[in-house]
Amino acid sequence: MLKLITNNMNLYNTVRNGEFIDGSSLSVLIRVRSLVHLGSKILTHPLCGNLRPNHQPFRSVIIDEKSGPADLESLSLIEDAVRVYQSCKLIMPEEIDEATLKDYAYIDSELMKESLIQFSLLTHNP
Amino acid sequence: MKLELHRLNVKSLKFAEKTGFADGVLSVNKAELLSLIAEDPLLGKNLDVDLAMPGESVRIMPVKDVIEPRWKIEGKGQIFPGLLSDVETVGEGKTLVLSGAAVLTAGKLVRFQEGIIDMSGPGADYTPYSKTCNVVLVLEPSDPNMDKHDYEKACRMAGLKAAAYLAKSCADVKADSVEVYEQANIREGMNNLPGLPKVGYLYMLQTQGLLHDTYLYGVDVKKILPTFLSPLEVMDGAIVSGNCVSACDKNSTYSHQNNPVIADMLKRHGKDFNFIGCIVTNENVTLADKRRSSTYATKLAAMLGLDGLVITEEGFGNPDADLIMNCWKAERLGIKTALLTDEYAGQDGASQSLADSCPEGDACVTAGNANEVIKLPAMKKVIGYAQEADVIAGGWNGSLADDGSITVELQAITGSTSELGYTKLGAYTL
Repeated sequence: MLKLITNNMNLYNTVRNGEFIDGSSLSVLIRVRSLVHLGSKILTHPLCGNLRPNHQPFRSVIIDEKSGPADLESLSLIEDAVRVYQSCKLIMPEEIDEATLKDYAYIDSELMKESLIQFSLLTHNP
Repeated sequence: MKLELHRLNVKSLKFAEKTGFADGVLSVNKAELLSLIAEDPLLGKNLDVDLAMPGESVRIMPVKDVIEPRWKIEGKGQIFPGLLSDVETVGEGKTLVLSGAAVLTAGKLVRFQEGIIDMSGPGADYTPYSKTCNVVLVLEPSDPNMDKHDYEKACRMAGLKAAAYLAKSCADVKADSVEVYEQANIREGMNNLPGLPKVGYLYMLQTQGLLHDTYLYGVDVKKILPTFLSPLEVMDGAIVSGNCVSACDKNSTYSHQNNPVIADMLKRHGKDFNFIGCIVTNENVTLADKRRSSTYATKLAAMLGLDGLVITEEGFGNPDADLIMNCWKAERLGIKTALLTDEYAGQDGASQSLADSCPEGDACVTAGNANEVIKLPAMKKVIGYAQEADVIAGGWNGSLADDGSITVELQAITGSTSELGYTKLGAYTL
């Protein structure tokens, strides 16, 4: 079953089937990795967008949730993505002002929109 | 296909009553240019045009795009087809180029995305646009709550309009130099140079969504299947950038117009190899799109019987997956590849540079490490909004110091690690 894993509440509120992660971008990737270990397949690139992890407080990944043997392509993608995050020594600034945070959430939603439409997961515009 | 580039060498800029060119000076009628841009109801009332010259103590930020002024003076179609002009195919005839001049679009869009250009100091060495005479458009939306897609388009169009306007105003001036480019059709191209390997250029374009998009003849490239293009079409603005993320490795419209990979391949055509043409492809978000586009693009290369492909990436992270798929799929079809990318190896350079890799990618050129940290001293004048340094990609909280200096990663400097190789820094063979 198709599902969006995200820590972006705006986006979570617009999808048919989602799982909200109350945590960082890395928490989203680690949750996706666990689901991949259980057999889920990744449908969108976990590093979409063009910002370093410390500039990307929101992450969203669409998966096909299944149980069974791990899909090797998904596993390699998610492990690489987690590695990129862990190698980034700069962590997110502790305080981000509201306007900037809104911009980050907006861009994350925008980058996922096309894919959510493609997979018929969007109920209304973020 | 034959295209002549008629170059006027711009060495200086000034505001004047009439827009035109004489003795190396591009004169700009500010009021006329402003009124042309202000025609767009999406843009606000506080628009400005400013000039910035190489060597001046000027910082421009946040920069969205850089465009070279060009105008077709003879031949089919017009510059920037599908956006500024009709959709007629370009790449033939005569095109006037204001060499050494550039139009920059600046203004807030989404706050952390755009770049910095310093016209002097250590930052200037990292951006090719510190060497151009820049006409800077400072833009704002007419409604602060405007949809960001609409505002992005308005900024993009303002830049294209200004670039075309400047070149058109100089259309009656005799060129300082003329360059002639010719591209044979495929049948002739295939038979012309027996014995030389047939090489193509796989031209990857950023296509992930808002501020990450690119347009080909006005079509959003994320919606195309890979397609074949003459390098001469690119010189007439067939490819237009709608993205600025991250500033270091976004391909500006200017770098498309002056793509050095195309320029070099045309130079070496007939000597080292037979340059057949460009295959344009996208860098979408879904894995299905990535698989479809990489399979299709490499299939086109195989159908053309290519022996080799030069592949350039745009961006990093997600596009690394496209780059690697393009590489191994081509190699497994028997087509040799050379890759051009940049690196995100951490501030100490110790991390793995790309988010993906494959054993077939054994010929790879880097444009530099985008995480390298640089301190940019204060400039006497800032065009745009200096406080954006704190939130721009490559900056962090506290990036902008009280003395006006900025500490950022190279990521924040427009074009600093251009994956088309449009940069002044590198190793040269003497």
